[in-house]
Amino acid sequence: MKLKGRAWVTGDDIDTDQIYHGQYLPVTDPHEMAKHAMEYVPGMENFPREARSGDVVVAGKNFGTGSSREHAVLCLQYLGISCVVAKSFSRIFFRNAVNLGFPVIECPEISDTMKTGDIVEVHVDSGKIIDLTTGESFQGIPASGLEKEIAGSGGLIEYLKKNA
Amino acid sequence: MTIIEKILSTGSGKAVKPNDRVWAGIDLAVIRDFGGPNVVIEYEKTFGERPVWDPSRVALTFDYQAPAKVSDVANNQRICREFAKKQGIQKLFDVNAGIGQHVLLEHGLIRPGSIVVGTDSHMNLLGAAGCFATGVGTTDMVATWYAGRLWFKVPETIKVNFKGKYSFPTTAKDLTLYFISRIGPDKPNYKSLEFYGDVINGFQLHDAITLASMITEINGKIGFVPTNHQISEFLKSRMGEASEPVLADADATYSESIEIDIHDLPPQVACPHAPGNVRPVSQVKGTHIDFAFVGSCTNGRYEDLSEAAAVLKAGGRVHPSVQLTIVPATIEVARKCLKAGHYETFLEAGAIVTNPGCSLCTTGHHGVLGKGDVLISTSNRNFLGKLGKGSQVYLASPATVAASAVKGEIADPGEFLR
Repeated sequence: MKLKGRAWVTGDDIDTDQIYHGQYLPVTDPHEMAKHAMEYVPGMENFPREARSGDVVVAGKNFGTGSSREHAVLCLQYLGISCVVAKSFSRIFFRNAVNLGFPVIECPEISDTMKTGDIVEVHVDSGKIIDLTTGESFQGIPASGLEKEIAGSGGLIEYLKKNA
Repeated sequence: MTIIEKILSTGSGKAVKPNDRVWAGIDLAVIRDFGGPNVVIEYEKTFGERPVWDPSRVALTFDYQAPAKVSDVANNQRICREFAKKQGIQKLFDVNAGIGQHVLLEHGLIRPGSIVVGTDSHMNLLGAAGCFATGVGTTDMVATWYAGRLWFKVPETIKVNFKGKYSFPTTAKDLTLYFISRIGPDKPNYKSLEFYGDVINGFQLHDAITLASMITEINGKIGFVPTNHQISEFLKSRMGEASEPVLADADATYSESIEIDIHDLPPQVACPHAPGNVRPVSQVKGTHIDFAFVGSCTNGRYEDLSEAAAVLKAGGRVHPSVQLTIVPATIEVARKCLKAGHYETFLEAGAIVTNPGCSLCTTGHHGVLGKGDVLISTSNRNFLGKLGKGSQVYLASPATVAASAVKGEIADPGEFLR
């Protein structure tokens, strides 16, 4: 699977309250949830209005630390973000993404040179990420084994239905 | 094998090693009024009226907004109650009961070696009782209700040995904050931790809970306090029978062993905006505060509130410019505090005392912070903006929070207790 979109570059330790703040937890309508994606990340207040379908979030280390809330994945998914590339993920965000079939790629060397607005191409299966604006490319760690099977089935529920 | 390897081996029915992916049976699946309603909605959307895999292994605990203060949450709680009724789920602990994990412990539903999942990222505080518990999202819980099992990556284990001893007013919270600052936020990512040392051997359940509850903040999978005599006795008194503790083998393999000297550790404070941004109280004392909070799943047990009461008794009234809120973890904790006379101490001192629950931690109950407000709290997180945009949160022990509430600025509890 090859994805292409504009990059939204952000720093280290972006926690789940920054991605989807606790005050919106009672919200269940997907359109409403999408309106608050990444709202509390410093400098990304316009993200929910300006992000376009297919855009890619490129983050530093420990992305998604904090709460077990799946909303942090859902709000990005509902907004049409195609995947998140991060130097590293917090385990709960990574797990929720796998369970929802949302592509996440760990790439320890990324994001120091990439800038918001660069056009990036993400090869989900090989883990290769190319910054088409600068011509640089990075090798990420693609999903493998059980995680790949679950994400590839369209998420955990579909996987279990097939493998009951 | 380490503790987590033993538990996941039993749960999956085969010998496991770190980084294996296994499917393990779930002993207890818990939803709360946060996260839970989404699980019910998704489950019914996918599986309709189909019975959950085992209603006796499902529990509901309402602590997010107890009682609800907005109709959205009231509706969500109703969704959960109606689901429990339809499905014949008996273990429903409503808004009067208290914080879920603590309620489960008090009701004897937590057994060493069992596997528990819940829609709360601090489920892993049950590592204090030798149980593998972890916070999960909606999809994981829907899957559990459907299949009774989940996938896990077997984590590597870090062994932590604490050397030395400290004395009150230094507490398990100070040890925890110090530990978090020493190990850093990355090292334990997706790892299990085991804690050893004389001080750990002497831990009561509440100490163990405080330490295990903050493993979430360093992205650890779970932290285990090996079940000692005191913890074992508590669990036995609640379960009605003794249980075999799960302890690591002498030849268990650890990814790393860390030794941390805590000899004469002074009280510690985590400064904004990261739980690991920790300094000794002596370096931050004098910092102005507006709000103070004693409670949460980290520090809301009877012993925690008793430490706050001791400081308030010695220090007198809460400073006129400070709001001190005290929230017991459970109704049982509240009853014990009432019996011990702590309510009188709290109210005489001018504190606000509320019913049990997560309270301030869940952003929006029993006090939200305004722009420029400064809070000192016994809870576990001080992330940027979590409790209100433009506010600042410091984390400390119940004794330090009480002392700070009395002085109107961050203070050393030793000043009141010497």
